[in-house]
Amino acid sequence: MKKIKLNMRHKEIMEGYVFVLPFILGLLMFFFFPLFVSIKLSFGKLDKVLGFEIIWLGIENYLRAFLVDTSFVPMFINVVKQTFIKVPLIIIASLLIGILLNKDIKFRGFFRTAFFIPFLLGMGDVMRQLLNLEVDKQVISMADGTLVPRELLVYFGANVVSAVDNFMGIIVLVLWNSGVQILLFLSGLQSIPVSLYEAAKVDGATEWEMFWKITLPMISPIMLLNIIYTLVDSFTDVTNPILAYIQSNAFTSLRFEYAAAMGWIYFLFIIIVVVCVMSILNRYIFLAEVKGGAKNDKKEG
Amino acid sequence: MIKKRADNFINKIFKSIGTIILIRSVKSPKNFKSYMQKTGRCVTYVLAFDLVFVFLFPFLFMIFTSLKTNADLNDVTVNWIPTTFNFKNYVMAYKLINYNEHIKNSLLITIGASIGHIISCSFIGYGFARYEFPLKNVLFVFVIVVLIVPIQTFIVPMYILFSNMKWLNTYLPIIAPTFFGLGLKGALFIFIFRQFYLGLPKELEKAAKVDGCGFLRTYWNIVLPIARSALIVTLVLSIVWHWNDFYEPAIYVYKPALAVLPARLNSLVTFVNKPPEELMSDVESGLDEDALNNAVLMAGTFIVILPVIISFIFLQRKFMQGIERTGLAGD
Repeated sequence: MKKIKLNMRHKEIMEGYVFVLPFILGLLMFFFFPLFVSIKLSFGKLDKVLGFEIIWLGIENYLRAFLVDTSFVPMFINVVKQTFIKVPLIIIASLLIGILLNKDIKFRGFFRTAFFIPFLLGMGDVMRQLLNLEVDKQVISMADGTLVPRELLVYFGANVVSAVDNFMGIIVLVLWNSGVQILLFLSGLQSIPVSLYEAAKVDGATEWEMFWKITLPMISPIMLLNIIYTLVDSFTDVTNPILAYIQSNAFTSLRFEYAAAMGWIYFLFIIIVVVCVMSILNRYIFLAEVKGGAKNDKKEG
Repeated sequence: MIKKRADNFINKIFKSIGTIILIRSVKSPKNFKSYMQKTGRCVTYVLAFDLVFVFLFPFLFMIFTSLKTNADLNDVTVNWIPTTFNFKNYVMAYKLINYNEHIKNSLLITIGASIGHIISCSFIGYGFARYEFPLKNVLFVFVIVVLIVPIQTFIVPMYILFSNMKWLNTYLPIIAPTFFGLGLKGALFIFIFRQFYLGLPKELEKAAKVDGCGFLRTYWNIVLPIARSALIVTLVLSIVWHWNDFYEPAIYVYKPALAVLPARLNSLVTFVNKPPEELMSDVESGLDEDALNNAVLMAGTFIVILPVIISFIFLQRKFMQGIERTGLAGD
């Protein structure tokens, strides 16, 4: 009897490995080798391109990014600053739009498709053509004065005016960037059982309370996924100036080693940020009990 | 404490708004509740249409601009709708991009890579969702690392790797990794599938196993048909991302004849922005100098993304259903 059980366990392990085998092979072929070479490259100097011989140099390339190169650090700080402004805005905007789309409204299909249009245009090249023609500024100029009257703003002084202008400048891009996030939130919102809201309504909860006590906790796992995705996406966006800088160093100036070192600095920074965000948010993620209850509800229904 | 106070405060505001509506609803014959609902719905619709406007703006701008003549572009009074619809822009953009040559390349990459993604990522994601085996967590950490690491960090070694494999100037460097769950955002798709399978009930698979169905057949005949919604979501995302991406193709495939459409769009931009002296030779070859403007650029942009829009229109309903059913909040 015991032997059969052991065999079952072995069989399960074997089957599991069969499923993830392509990924392991892929890692070995297309990931570990380039990653390893890239680390080696960042610590050395390329001697022969063909045989790929590298002379060990130590941390010279890394020091260069911080001490010699005058444009890397300011660019880096600027990118980080922009990302930390953009990510919360994208998350909030896409959550609100997701909730809006989850409501029982007419033309829902139309709305959902419409919100996906900027994503189809792609934040890659097509969108860049449009941005070159300053499309985002046109949207703002059309909205100018209608949302918040200029005259009212002038009362508050120049600081407020410029702050609002900055905000308006970024919000259009934020909205156009949030297609995938809206979809993720929408799918998360769809999986919250309606019975929870009904029970809350019976107990006399307001919409506001239901948002904070039901929607937000239930959606928190997807919130984490979304925040990580948005962080990574905005850090690795093609339009990101720092990646363009690394790119031009590698392929225009042919400084492969320096480009690799900068790439690693950037990558390590992203990892640190993501790990920090994950460990902080993990405390607020709501899992377990109610979720199990919700699943039971579904089964009964 | 503060939060509670804030809650109370906001509740008070809500209640005071409620009383205002109540007072007004006394005047109107309709009862209070329907009045409340109606105002709420009105606000929702106004907000939704406002947002739709912002979201559709780039698209509408592109279409209207692409139909303008040179005179319309410079005319301040012509804001949206051009005085005459100028379809010549499309003909010109079509010729300049060399559309019918390069669309084949884009289609090949996009179809190959997205098929690779839906096959491999659904397979790998299933392993992560259903089986327990040693080093599973370590492997899953690698999924996240692959997701996070920007391709630019190791593009140079990748280039050298593929040049050693004699894969440069073919589409294999883009298509082959997708069959192993890597490639453009492949790790994200593995993640999506894992979350999807975690939300599926196990009963069907158990029943199949009891009936003596092998694990691969169970996967192929039972799991995959159920996973159709997740497959469509992945397919659409993969198609859109691969179609718009030209970073990797531009590096591995540098032969001009093999360029993808977005890369051609880039060369159209440089063409439009060329100084007039350089254009003279082009004019002699039959191009109208006046006609090279942003309208042509927009027409080119439109025809480049047209296939994506068409495929999205076809998959749209299934895609949206898929989004609803994927239930990513599971786990």
